[in-house]
Amino acid sequence: MIKRVEVNYRGIFQKMLGKYIGSDIVQIATRMGKVAFSNGRYSDAPERNGIPCKYFAFVSPDLSEEELEAECGAKLDIDEADVSIVVDDTMVKGVEPWGWHGVRPINEKVREKGCLLVVSRHPHDHLLQFIGKKPYSYRLATLEGGASLAGLWVYKDDLTRERVLGALAAVDPGIIAIEAVEAYLLDKTKDARRAQAAREAYEATLRRTRIVTPEEGIDWPHEVPILPKWHEFEETGVVVRSVPRGFQLGPRGQARNDAFKRGTTKTHRPVVRFDLCIKCTLCWLDCPDECFDPTDDGLFDVDYEVCVGCHKCAAVCPIPECIVMVDELKFTDDKSPWEAYTKSPQAYIEWAELKKGKERIAYPHVTGQGVNITEGTTVPPKVAAV
Amino acid sequence: MEDPLGVATVATASPVWEREELLNGCQAVAQGVRLADVDVIAAYPIRPYTEVMDALSKIIADGQLDAEYIIADSEHSQFEIVKHASSVGARAFGGSSGTGWMFGFEALVVAATDRLPTLFIVGNRALDDPGAFGVEHNDAMALRDMGWLLCWAATAQEALEHVLIGYRIAEDKRVLMPMALAMDGAFLTHSQHMLKVPAKEAVSRFLPAYDLGDRRLHPDNPVSIAPQVNEDWVMELRRQNWEAARRAKGVIAEAYEEFNTIFGERYPSPYFDEFMTDDAETVLLGLGAVCMPARTAVRRLREQGKKVGYINLRWFRPFPTQELRASLGRFKSVGVIDRNFAHGSPDCGGIVFQDVRSCLYPLAKRPAMVDFIGGLGGRDLSIADCIRMYDITAKAARDGAPEECVTWIGLRE
Repeated sequence: MIKRVEVNYRGIFQKMLGKYIGSDIVQIATRMGKVAFSNGRYSDAPERNGIPCKYFAFVSPDLSEEELEAECGAKLDIDEADVSIVVDDTMVKGVEPWGWHGVRPINEKVREKGCLLVVSRHPHDHLLQFIGKKPYSYRLATLEGGASLAGLWVYKDDLTRERVLGALAAVDPGIIAIEAVEAYLLDKTKDARRAQAAREAYEATLRRTRIVTPEEGIDWPHEVPILPKWHEFEETGVVVRSVPRGFQLGPRGQARNDAFKRGTTKTHRPVVRFDLCIKCTLCWLDCPDECFDPTDDGLFDVDYEVCVGCHKCAAVCPIPECIVMVDELKFTDDKSPWEAYTKSPQAYIEWAELKKGKERIAYPHVTGQGVNITEGTTVPPKVAAV
Repeated sequence: MEDPLGVATVATASPVWEREELLNGCQAVAQGVRLADVDVIAAYPIRPYTEVMDALSKIIADGQLDAEYIIADSEHSQFEIVKHASSVGARAFGGSSGTGWMFGFEALVVAATDRLPTLFIVGNRALDDPGAFGVEHNDAMALRDMGWLLCWAATAQEALEHVLIGYRIAEDKRVLMPMALAMDGAFLTHSQHMLKVPAKEAVSRFLPAYDLGDRRLHPDNPVSIAPQVNEDWVMELRRQNWEAARRAKGVIAEAYEEFNTIFGERYPSPYFDEFMTDDAETVLLGLGAVCMPARTAVRRLREQGKKVGYINLRWFRPFPTQELRASLGRFKSVGVIDRNFAHGSPDCGGIVFQDVRSCLYPLAKRPAMVDFIGGLGGRDLSIADCIRMYDITAKAARDGAPEECVTWIGLRE
C-alpha cells in the first residue's frame, strides 16, 4: 500500500515550508517503522515568486524502498493523492505552474475518499465556490490560519508547519499518527509548545472536516491543453510568436501569451480607485507582467487573468489608497475594473471600498516577517455623484 | 537554509555507520565529500548540481570540513581551479550539469592526460535548448572517449559511497585518472531519503590520504606540469592513458572488495549488478535510477512466470568488456535502455547500445539486441514502460532482432 501526500505551496514564499512538511512526514513515518521518501515537483524549479508548486511525500507500511521509489519517484507529478495539502487558500481558484500546463483544479489529484486540506480562514462553502466538481466524494478539511508567506530561502517559524502535521494526522492517520507527530516534535525541538500546536490542530481539524459530494463545486472553466505530437509542431525548436500589443490598441485590444497567463500566482490582487489616479503611469511602467492596459481616458485597466499579485503597483503608486492589495478569495471573476468604473463610477467606488475593507496588506519578503497588516483610511470619491 | 527545528538523526549501533539522516542525493554527495576530507572545492551553480555546492558551503560554515571553497566565475574556471588544486597535492572536488558541464569541457579533457585524480559529480541534465532541467545522460557521456573514469550511481546512498570509492580508485598510483560520478538529475539529486552516513573512522580505513609523490607541484619541489609537447609525444601519452584505464579494472575490483569488507556486502560485483538473471532469457540493461522501475517490473513479470532479469551497468569507463561479454552471452535477447541519444549513429540508437552491441560482436552466439531511447529531458520511465520494453525484448528473442531495432519510449507520436 502507498499513501501519497502533496503539499501545494506558493513558490519562493513557501518553498521551505513545503519542503519541511515533506521532510517531517518522512521522518515521522520512518519512526513509525514505515518506508518513506519525499521530493519536490522538479519542473517547478527555478521557482518564481508565488507560482503554485508542489512537494510530495510517499509512505508505505509494506513496500521496499526500491518499489516505493519505482512507483512514485521517477515521475514528474503524482498520479493521485490521499491528501492534497494547500498552504495558501487562494490556490483553490486553480493552479497553473508553468506554460502549456493549463489552470488545473486544486483537487485534481485527490482520490475518492481522499482529503483536500486547506489552511484557510474561510468556511468550506466559500472555498467550494471556486473548486471544481469531482465525479466522486472526497473530504474537505480546513485548518484555521492565513498563508504563511516568507521569502527566498526564508522560513517563517509561525507553527504552520507543526499545525499542518497535526491536521494531516487527523485527516489520514494511516500516513502519520498524532502521537508520532507529537513525539517527533518533542524529540527534535524539546519544545512542548510545538507538539501542543500539532495536537490542537489535530483536534480542530477533526471538527472541521466534511464530505464533498459529486454535486458540490463548480464546472471547471479551464481546459487542460493537449501537448502536440512530435510531428505536429513546427520543426524549428520551440518558437513563441509575439502577440499584438501597444498603446494604440487600447484596453480590449491587447493580446497576451495564451499558453501561460499566470493569474493563479496571486494571493492578493490590486484594487484600483480610478477616481484618485493622477495618471502618473508608474503602475503601467513598473508592472513586471505588463498587466496594466492604457485606456483612452489616460487611466490604466488591470487584466487580472495575467496579474500575479506581486504588489509592485501598490508599492510604486504615489497616491494613498489608490492601489490597494486585497485577498484574492474576495473575488469571483477577472472582469475589467475599468469597464465597471466607466459604467458607474459611484457603484464601482463603493464596490472597491467594500472589497478593500479595513486591512492593508504588505509583505516585506526578504525579512521573512511575512505579511504586515495595517489599518487603511477611507478616501472620499473625487468624482461627483451621478 | 538550516532547519530551525534542528536536524533529527538516528544514531545507529554499527561502528562503520555513524547515523541515519534524511538527505537528498545532492546532500548525500556533500556528505561523501566531507568524509573524504576534501581540501579544495570549486563551485559554480547550475541545476541540479547547485544543491551539492549549497550543501558543501553549509558543511564548511558549520565547521564540519576544513576546505578551501572557491566560487568560480564559470564552469571553465571552476574546473581549472579543481585541476590545478589537484596538481599541488590537494584532494579536489568539483561538479556541474548539462550545458555548464559542456562549457567547462576544455579543462576537463586535459585533466586526463595530466593524470590528475580529481573527482567531479555530474548531476545529469538535458543539454538545452530550450532550457530543460530534467535528466538525460548525454552530458556525462561526452567524456566517454576522453580518458576519464566514468560511473553512474543508481541511488543517493550509492552516490555518497561512490565519492569515497571514486577517490580511492582515481588516486591509486596505478591509475591516477580523473573520475566523473554521474547521477540522474531530479530523481536522484533531489529526492530525500533516510540514508546511512558512514563513520569517519571507517572511511579513513578505506580511503588513504592523497599522495601525488614527487610530481606534486610545490615551492620545495619545483616541477612543470603539462608543458608543450610536439606531435612526437601524443600517441604515447594516449597509450599510457589507456594502460592506466586497463590497470584501473583491477583497482576497481580491489576497491569494492575492500569497501565490502569494511561496510558489509554492499556491492556483489563492481562493474554491474545482475538482478534475477540466473535463469533469465531476456534482460534489460540500463544506467542509473531507471534500475528501480526496471527491477520492480522484473519482480512483477517473474510472478507471471516470465524469465526476465535486469542488469544495472555502473561503470561505463573503463567499459567492462570481458565481464559483460561473459554475462550477456547467456541470454536470448538483450534490450538496452538509453537515457541519451546518439544522433546519426548506426541504427540511430543510444550510446550505451552502440557500446554493448559492439562488445558482443565477437561472440559466436550473440543475443538478439534491441535499444530503447527513453526518459530524455526528464521524461518519466515508469514500471509500465519497463514492462513494455521487456515485451519488445522478449519478442526479439523469439523472432530475432527487428530491422528497426530502436524504439522510442514515452514519445508523443
